[in-house]
Amino acid sequence: MTSTLPAATGTKVPAQDTPVPESVPGSPPVFRFRSSRPDLVLCGVLLAAILTVQGWNIADYPTLSDDEGTYLAQAWAVQNGHGLAHYTYWYDHPPLGWIQIALLTWLPSRIDPSLMTVGGMRPAMLLVSAVSAVLVYILARRLRLPVWAAGSAMVLFGLSPLSVVLQREIFLDNLAVMWTLLAFTLAASPSRHLWHHFGAGLAAAAGVLTKETMLVVLPAVFLTMWRHSHRDTRKFALTGAVTACALIGLSYPLFALLKGELLPGAGHVSLWDGVAYQMSRAGSGFLLDPGSGSYGVLHSWLYYDRVLPLGGLAGALLLLLTWRWSVTARALAGPALAVAILTLVAMRPSGYLPAMYVIQALPFLALVLAGSAASIAHGVLHRWRRRTERPAVTWARYAVAALLLAAAGAYVVPRWYDGDRTAVTADANASYRAASHWLTSEVQDPKDTRVLVDDALWLDLVHAGYRPGLGVIWFYKADLDPAVTRTMPHGWRDLDYVVASPTVRRDAVDLPGVMAAIKHSTPVATFGTGPDRIEIRRVDQAAGGDR
Amino acid sequence: MLTSVLIAAVSLALFWMAAFTLWWQMHAWRTPEVLASTRFGSPDGAEHLSFSLLLPARHEQAVLDHTIQRLLESSHTDFEIIVIVGHDDPETTEVARKAAARDGRVRVVVDHHEKKNKPKAMNTALPHCRGDVVGVFDAEDQVHPELLAHVDHAFRTTGADVVQGGVQLINFHSSWYSLRNCLEYFFWFRSRLHLHAQKGFIPLGGNTVFVRTDVLREADGWDPDCLAEDCDLGVRLSSVGKKVVVAYDSDMVTREETPGSLMSLLKQRTRWNQGFLQVYRKKDWKQLPGLGQRMLARYTLMTPFLQAFSGVIIPLNAGVALFLDVPVGIAFLTFLPLVTAAVTFVFEVVGLHDFGKQYGLRVRFVHYVKLIVGGPFYQVLLAGAAVRAVWREQRGRNDWELTSHVGAHLHTAAVIRETREDVPA
Repeated sequence: MTSTLPAATGTKVPAQDTPVPESVPGSPPVFRFRSSRPDLVLCGVLLAAILTVQGWNIADYPTLSDDEGTYLAQAWAVQNGHGLAHYTYWYDHPPLGWIQIALLTWLPSRIDPSLMTVGGMRPAMLLVSAVSAVLVYILARRLRLPVWAAGSAMVLFGLSPLSVVLQREIFLDNLAVMWTLLAFTLAASPSRHLWHHFGAGLAAAAGVLTKETMLVVLPAVFLTMWRHSHRDTRKFALTGAVTACALIGLSYPLFALLKGELLPGAGHVSLWDGVAYQMSRAGSGFLLDPGSGSYGVLHSWLYYDRVLPLGGLAGALLLLLTWRWSVTARALAGPALAVAILTLVAMRPSGYLPAMYVIQALPFLALVLAGSAASIAHGVLHRWRRRTERPAVTWARYAVAALLLAAAGAYVVPRWYDGDRTAVTADANASYRAASHWLTSEVQDPKDTRVLVDDALWLDLVHAGYRPGLGVIWFYKADLDPAVTRTMPHGWRDLDYVVASPTVRRDAVDLPGVMAAIKHSTPVATFGTGPDRIEIRRVDQAAGGDR
Repeated sequence: MLTSVLIAAVSLALFWMAAFTLWWQMHAWRTPEVLASTRFGSPDGAEHLSFSLLLPARHEQAVLDHTIQRLLESSHTDFEIIVIVGHDDPETTEVARKAAARDGRVRVVVDHHEKKNKPKAMNTALPHCRGDVVGVFDAEDQVHPELLAHVDHAFRTTGADVVQGGVQLINFHSSWYSLRNCLEYFFWFRSRLHLHAQKGFIPLGGNTVFVRTDVLREADGWDPDCLAEDCDLGVRLSSVGKKVVVAYDSDMVTREETPGSLMSLLKQRTRWNQGFLQVYRKKDWKQLPGLGQRMLARYTLMTPFLQAFSGVIIPLNAGVALFLDVPVGIAFLTFLPLVTAAVTFVFEVVGLHDFGKQYGLRVRFVHYVKLIVGGPFYQVLLAGAAVRAVWREQRGRNDWELTSHVGAHLHTAAVIRETREDVPA
């Protein structure tokens, strides 16, 4: 033992806060992001690039998604004191996600309430993207990747066309990713502080309460913490983190309990039913079965980018195989485990694979891919290298490295250029805007007009003066929410319009009420063509349903 | 509405109290570096200081000789042992005299005060101290032979005025409350005291405490009227900027035993609480220069009473949330203190595991169960002691209620000593 005693009293505080490096053998050199100029500069430049690409044209591409509308509308409900949702909150997801969206969008929506539409509020997601991207960089550095590899991870995470498309959207998953990355970053804290690890547990819980599917990534958080904690303090750090995570996680069932909605019962929704619904969602088939829904989802991801998903998977595999020999592979154990778990979960043949599932995997794919690149670079440039190595061999090493870099560049750059150019130029939402404009300007008396719309358009009509909830109605509530159907004793005859967007037409198959309304209506305005068109259909009041 | 506001305020206050206490309790484990810095440095072999070790003994003829023998085994070469006995206690005096006859390093000082207590005894011996440093031990302490060498080194390398070594209750298996009592000591000496040393406000422990003789004389020794003279000395010394260093090594701690019965634990705790209250009212801590230091002092000296208060309020508060009709948000707040309590429990469990590891003791599953189940009852005991302390202080009863020892920590057969509750006032 060569430790020194704490300095103590007197008016000035503490020599004890100064670490005693020699007392803890084997302490690695400490990375401090805030005081490292090269890191700050690189991270700042990359962040600017990411925000530019993600932010430019953000409202017009990609197509407004129904889910975005759902979460933003519920955030609107939170902001306006309608509780957790403007329809009955039924424990579909923990509410923390849209409570955060409500906070994020609070200031702009106070300044201009009409901004509170899906397109208008997408820029708020840039803040989330920015935080996540910086966290990816810091985490990569804390996992001891070199500067260039950390930069690559950040670029992969922020500029892959797949990321650009998905991170622009108001999805709970993006917020959950931010919290989970924070948990990882705190778990890998270089000071190995007990309360940083405790904080990692809190952040992980926040991630799970934002999007419950993050639950599966928790083992990877704790693995990272295990690897980064010190033998002498590990048991306190880990139990502290697990406890923090569990206690915060329990607040959700506690919330249900306090509202008397934990267990199913007559006349009220319950957490139990919500979970049961999510667990029993019809499976979308095996990922690699070309006929399955999951296969379609997979290809919708690969359509935007193959480098990050497939390269990341290959990277994870490489790291797992070189575990014994590669320091980098061991350092990236956490992210590699996260990729492995998420892949296995996606491969369940009976499970339901949502389109935004891949969002959770993006940072880990990026880290693992950058890490394996670092591992390969190290192998090519430094492995088995001796002082006495002949210059020719050294040159050959550099040549191979340059060749690999050029090949990677030649493959990635054109594809990403195309993808990202579409993202910053294409206008996928012209018909939505037109439909919104028509319903705002052509309908004489919005206050007394009842219209079925998909969630993405709902807030537009609220701002146009339609009555939220029962005037402008989320289309599926007309069939599924007793509180809404009660107000429609004559079924479709009680409606004035149906806005048949692709989502509405797709889901109407299972919703007889909506289907009837579509059947007994005529298009009065159509925007766009083919399967992407949006029709505004007026319900035939006089025809008596005979068409 | 008023109920809601009240509940919210109480909940938040309780939460912050528990959170701060937890934060401080976990101080030593914050980072591996902090943990490493709480240990004694390895002695360099050089010895420059001489020690006068005070050993106040009263009706302790059964254990005194063993303690003296162990102290004489110290590897340090320059120390004297001053055994302080009462003029009305011939049995202990005889043991002390015999030891003095055997070894020239042992001296006996007789205390002639009519009303006897520990600070008076030590003040009596202070003028007789020849060493550079005065150390205090209790008659039943098991002291490690290397301790003095480490303390010598600590004084020299840190320039400290006071060095506080670790004290640890060991007999956690004796009863449910001794388990909790041991763990309290573990967290206090292993962790919390280091924070106090760092912040510059420290209530010292009753033994294994070493003070430079000149500093001690300058401070006029111990307060003979204070029931927690050890705490008081620490507060007075740190308030005038004396440097206190705390060091803890599990193999270097002074081992002690928990009080032999629940009643004696209650009395001991009452005395400490009353002592803390007296120290608080003496206001020496107000000389501390920093606001943060004064807040810490205020909070630490009030802790027994806050503890009593929160022990009663926390369950009440949660009950209110569950059974009264308050908004969900408010009900949520009432669970915050429970959350910190749960975290504290978990850290206690881990602490018990660490305690077992550090001392090579076998902690069984049943001990963890006792720890958790006993928690609320121990809280009741602490609350009882706090209430009792306030009551006694109000009534002006500030005599010493001493604690009896059964020698459960000694390897020799348990020796039951005379009970000395309520020395007549």
